[in-house]
Amino acid sequence: MVLNIGPQHPSTHGVLRLEVMTDGEIVSKITPHLGYLHRCFEKHAENVTYEQVIPFTDRCDYLASMNSNFGYVVAMEDLMEIEVSERVQYIRVIMAELNRIASHLLALGVYGLDIGAFTPFLYMLRDRERILDMFEYTCGARLLYNYMWIGGVSHDLPKDFEKICFEFLDYFEPQIEEYNNLLTYNKIFIERTADVGVIPADIAISYGVSGPNLRGSGVNWDVRKDEPYSIYDRFEFDIPTGTGEFGTLGDCFDRYWVRMLEISQSAKIIRQALKDLPGGDVFETMPKKIRPPKGSIYRRTESPRGDLGYYIMSDGTPSPSRVKMRSPAFTALSCLDEVSSGWMISDVLAILGSLDIVLGEIDR
Amino acid sequence: MSRYFTNIYDTVNTLWTGMRITFRHMMNIRRDNVTLQYPEERWPRPERNIGFNHGDYNVIRSRLHVDIDDCIGCYRCERACPVDCIKIDTIKSDRGEDIPSVSHTGVTSNGTKKGFVVSRFTIDMSECCYCNLCTYPCPEECIFMVGGPNSSKHPIDYEFSEVDRKDLIYEFAKKLTPKQREGLTKTDEKAEA
Amino acid sequence: MTVDFLIDLFSKFIDVPVVAFLLAVTIAGIPLFVLMALNATVAVYVERKVSAFMMDRIGPMGQGPGLHAGKWGVLQTIADALKLLIKEDTVPASADKLLFKMAPFIIFIGAFLGIAALPFSSVIQVVDFNVGVFYIIAVASVGVIGIVMAGWASNNKWSLYGAMRSAAQIISYEIPAGLSIIVPIMMAGTMNLQSLIEFQTGSVWGILPNWIIFNNPFSFLAFFIFFISAVAETNRTPFDIPEAESELVAGWMTEYSGFRWAVFFLSEYANMFVVSGLAATAFLGGWQSPIPGLFNSPLWGLFWFLGKIIFLIFVMMWFRWTFPRLRVDQLMHVCWKVFIPIAMLNIFGVGIWKLIIG
Repeated sequence: MVLNIGPQHPSTHGVLRLEVMTDGEIVSKITPHLGYLHRCFEKHAENVTYEQVIPFTDRCDYLASMNSNFGYVVAMEDLMEIEVSERVQYIRVIMAELNRIASHLLALGVYGLDIGAFTPFLYMLRDRERILDMFEYTCGARLLYNYMWIGGVSHDLPKDFEKICFEFLDYFEPQIEEYNNLLTYNKIFIERTADVGVIPADIAISYGVSGPNLRGSGVNWDVRKDEPYSIYDRFEFDIPTGTGEFGTLGDCFDRYWVRMLEISQSAKIIRQALKDLPGGDVFETMPKKIRPPKGSIYRRTESPRGDLGYYIMSDGTPSPSRVKMRSPAFTALSCLDEVSSGWMISDVLAILGSLDIVLGEIDR
Repeated sequence: MSRYFTNIYDTVNTLWTGMRITFRHMMNIRRDNVTLQYPEERWPRPERNIGFNHGDYNVIRSRLHVDIDDCIGCYRCERACPVDCIKIDTIKSDRGEDIPSVSHTGVTSNGTKKGFVVSRFTIDMSECCYCNLCTYPCPEECIFMVGGPNSSKHPIDYEFSEVDRKDLIYEFAKKLTPKQREGLTKTDEKAEA
Repeated sequence: MTVDFLIDLFSKFIDVPVVAFLLAVTIAGIPLFVLMALNATVAVYVERKVSAFMMDRIGPMGQGPGLHAGKWGVLQTIADALKLLIKEDTVPASADKLLFKMAPFIIFIGAFLGIAALPFSSVIQVVDFNVGVFYIIAVASVGVIGIVMAGWASNNKWSLYGAMRSAAQIISYEIPAGLSIIVPIMMAGTMNLQSLIEFQTGSVWGILPNWIIFNNPFSFLAFFIFFISAVAETNRTPFDIPEAESELVAGWMTEYSGFRWAVFFLSEYANMFVVSGLAATAFLGGWQSPIPGLFNSPLWGLFWFLGKIIFLIFVMMWFRWTFPRLRVDQLMHVCWKVFIPIAMLNIFGVGIWKLIIG
């Protein structure tokens, strides 16, 4: 029977159409149909100037907007060979890690919602609201910031940001214990997610999966540690990988567990960055005119979904000649077919939720 | 066999822990409530201790407003907008001269002499992406997002929804009749001639 | 105030026995219907508030000029009911019209018939069956027919999935429920609901009431098995696969809107009421008061009975908002491999206990 988990569905993370061929309840083949959210990001980028591309990059992965900005800005600064000041680097890392926590909270909450637990979603969103309030305090916007500019950031941190951030971290870290007691160790949740949707490490690598999906399968690869960009090599943090303790290595529970542990690691990075935050002016290294030399560059950074890459080709004019965004969620979605054949429909939705896709990034 | 019984024991244990957590939240609702009942209670705009002097007027995203008497018609905001929602038309006039017939002042509040009469300044708020990129390049600080640090110039307004989409196209320039427009361009050509 | 009493009353005035019978039955049915409607109204409001409080938010509130939804939002359910009544009545074009229209009412009948047997007090009961327990369990299965009809007649793959799963689930969970309810029957020696309650008078050690749940450890376990199977029978989380919101949109109810959906909703809450009523009667002492000896008049009995039912419904809501849902095969595994062995063990255990300890 051919079933359509259609574009309008409470549980696909955006407008995604999955054409599922089933035999009773067992799935034999899945064909994803994309393109419902295509907004011509790459075409727009060819018609506007370099600094005007940044609001467009916000809107691709709208849940981790700081990280999308970060990727673009790091690539551009490499192309133009600009060295930004220390304060800017620290501010960027703090903002990117805060956004990583916010994005993971949403991913975990929505995953609980897919599995049927309604309450942890609201608890996690309540804490995410506090992070969004901190962002609003800094730059005025809650979700789409346009914050990281080429050569700097758009607003300096307010004077008592450090106090507020430390307060938030002190409140937040015990909450993780509560989420674990409510959802993670819950036997029904473990039964639903352990041993389901195993992605073996070699299949994950061959499909190009990255980020928490790859780390859940046991492969220790994180762009922040293996190809460090910005000042990530100065911080001490661990890379959590899946261990298969509740089931097999690489199942949905491992991916969920990796995200949960990454939240604590991001909190650790933020504490270290806040402690060492230097003073200074954030606007001193911003170039007056953005005219990169002719050439092209590809840089990748670690977004909460994986390995986000930007390829920028410039021809000396103020407007880019080509910008391509390599989206990590696209490759994660591509391995859905292989991973979910032989499972039931409820499991397909569990697997899709554990891959944490955002349609804005897939369709651009 | 023993796995069977440990499974049952684990299940009951973890389920009971989960139930205790939600029960605790239910009992503490007065302390923990996070809902804001909207029209009656509003989230206050955070009082930002900005403490630095560059561009602090930009730290808010709300409705755009233009003080048209300060606009010198330099087109910088129109060029900065990524989605092309600002449209400006200007007519050249004598530098620094007041033209009372179209209520055009020759000098801005910062003392800059104006060389253009702005005949059209429309911002389509339904296309605006609230990126704030138009407010930075303005040399006279006449385009800004209302409220917050700019409350002295214009009170806050983030509830500006309209029934008809055409009402979201804001026109800031003063209306010119075709006769006035002709008169201005004629003065312009006469000056050149 | 049973139907028999009403029939005797009317046959004194009316000569034709059939007319007296029909009149008595109708008049006895009206309070039941009112009770069902009230139950749905109150239960929906309580569910929204309880779920909101558990999630750190407040549910529907009425504030501001005009108090549009009443203080604390009590008028919200009435507004929702009115909205459902005036909605457009859509029937899908390729649906099987007769079955589509009949399905909600069959489920409704199943729930309604169950309420007729519950003993609200020592004098208030619509019909005092001799096989009360058996009757309620039998009538609760009528609902499955309605669900399968709804799923099939909607001509929608998602509805079909929901209906098939629901049929499998309800039929499977009847078995542990039935096996667990045998425990009180064994102990009391009767299936009559009033006699079951009268068996539970008195007290144990002076302070605990002599309810069946406190009698011996096997019946304690039997109560839990019965209650969880009852939750599964009413399609509530963690067993709400048939109406799983995030998987199947709304499962077998997808194509229904307006009044027909309201009937489904009403019958879900009525089902909850019936199984809670049966659990309260058989295990928790029905209209007996928890303090042995005090507050035992018939009016107090009504209060205690409704109080126990409300408590059990609250526990069902508590389950719903805390746990994720089980997958279909795990549901079946729990039923056939965990509950049924434990239920059979209970029967065996209670028999031995009664034999040895008496």
